[in-house]
Amino acid sequence: MTATLHASRETPPAVPARPRRRRGRAGQRTRTFYLFVGPWIAGFVLLTLFPLGYAFWMSLTNTDGLSPNWSYVGFDNYLRVFQDTQTIESLGRTGIFMLATVPTGVAAGLVMAVMLNRDFRGRTLFRALFYLPAVVPGVAAALTFKIIFDRNAGAANALVGAAGGEPISWLADPYTRFVLILMILWGVGGSMIISLAALQDVPRELLEAARVDGAGPVYSFFKITLPILSPIIFFQVVTGVIGSLQVFVPSLLLAPVNGPAAVTAVPEGNYLFMVHVYAEYFAKSHFGYASALLWVLFLFVLLITGVVFKIGSKAVFYGGVDPTEGKEG
Amino acid sequence: MNVNLARRARFTALYLSLITLAVIFSGPLGWLILTSLKAPNELSVFPIQLFPATPQWHNYLDALTFIDFLGYARNSLILATISSVLTTISSAWMAYGFARLSAPGKKFWFGLLISTMMMPGIITLIPTYLMFAKLGFVDTYIPWILWGLCGAAFMVFLFRQFFAGIPKELEEAAILDGCGHVRIFWKIFIPQSGPILAACMVLTFTASWGDFIAPSLLLSDDTTTLAVAMTAGYVNEKGFPVQNLLAAGSTMFILPVLLMFLFFQRFFVQGFSTSGLK
Repeated sequence: MTATLHASRETPPAVPARPRRRRGRAGQRTRTFYLFVGPWIAGFVLLTLFPLGYAFWMSLTNTDGLSPNWSYVGFDNYLRVFQDTQTIESLGRTGIFMLATVPTGVAAGLVMAVMLNRDFRGRTLFRALFYLPAVVPGVAAALTFKIIFDRNAGAANALVGAAGGEPISWLADPYTRFVLILMILWGVGGSMIISLAALQDVPRELLEAARVDGAGPVYSFFKITLPILSPIIFFQVVTGVIGSLQVFVPSLLLAPVNGPAAVTAVPEGNYLFMVHVYAEYFAKSHFGYASALLWVLFLFVLLITGVVFKIGSKAVFYGGVDPTEGKEG
Repeated sequence: MNVNLARRARFTALYLSLITLAVIFSGPLGWLILTSLKAPNELSVFPIQLFPATPQWHNYLDALTFIDFLGYARNSLILATISSVLTTISSAWMAYGFARLSAPGKKFWFGLLISTMMMPGIITLIPTYLMFAKLGFVDTYIPWILWGLCGAAFMVFLFRQFFAGIPKELEEAAILDGCGHVRIFWKIFIPQSGPILAACMVLTFTASWGDFIAPSLLLSDDTTTLAVAMTAGYVNEKGFPVQNLLAAGSTMFILPVLLMFLFFQRFFVQGFSTSGLK
């Protein structure tokens, strides 16, 4: 194990990062290319490849990050992943969270984009209003939702009270998962903007021709617009799936306790996979096991990406990319 | 006549649903502002009140002093500036290489760049943090300088797409005049990239301003950003959140981002449409 690790650390990447010294214009061109692209390669090696290798090394040990007494445990940590009920349960919860946010988010974004994709008065205003929540930083969104769903002074319980109900503890189980889902869906404007941009690629003549032929708007939407938009929808679903695997900051921020202790106070309903990873690292100091969890996630994302590229090259063309990166952080 | 009526009905339905959605989407921020104007006793009465009896504008001043709001805002500003300026320039620099130069291995590196865009940053963040801790970078802004210098894959991609659309004639003339690529980059490409530079700056600035996890891992109570201080600062002696000041603080925390967004909306949209270019 040590051997593979050191190999991955010390062998240079397959393609020369530094150009071989060659004479003439070709050598000069190569050097110029690496002068420009070099910093990115350096960053990739130092800030992506190396941390991944470091995590892999930790995943093979029982280190707690501090104590000098650690030993190699082989793949024990990886075997533990499949026996740890907390891991299995948090994965299940993440799956449900994904199903609750990704399809609804993409569909709602698309419907809103279609509604705004025509000329009428106030179009820009509506677009801005729907998109604004997506630019609100995640921290502020979480604080806002915590205030809305506060038991004593929140708007949600004001409505419940007006309807004659008893106040509800929204931020505790079993309700807090819905607060988390609503908070994520509040930012659906990001998806709307992507779909709106993609709608500009739908040829107007095609829709016009369909209309002349007597096709209704619903028919044209399903038979013309949707197929043209399929790559961008597919792309949003994929990035949404990968994104929801990473969600943990909103869970931490919605927890009843703030600061470093938040992770131990996350209600069960919001205890997603990454929350579990974070807790294993920073609440329990199981650096080895937590790193194994991180690697399992990494391999899973790699698998998804691989499958997507395979399908993508066959069935879908790449018309655009997801500009809403890292809201979930 | 009939067709006209149906059309009108459809239009009204559209407007009504848009207005409903607008109320739902602006509701949360509306409630935040209402809460920020309430007096402390209005936060514990039953039934819950929607509006403050008299708006407590001084809550905003109190929020500034309850925590060292301006001090933390300064930290956030420094960090976001470092991060956005460095990321923008370095991403553009790298993109020039991918857009205009060729060398063995270019295809491989570009493929790698595209695949890292899909990679969740969170996977590398925790090990990177542990690595930085070992190197003694905790409680410094060095990590952000390093991240900035190494660019962001998505931004490199964005710039590359934009640069690919710049006609080659200009630089060909410059090359004939003996101008090197570094000068072409600074003198021809950068001046032509105004909108995309602005889009990149705004996107990275707001991302850094709102980032919670990196500063909470890497910085301490004094050096941390407003985003982190907001989440833990507004509590009373008993540890309960002071809701009205928290709401006022949050409003002031969001404001710069919203203003930037409104001011640069054009660039946001331009950035998105450029990303779709092939």
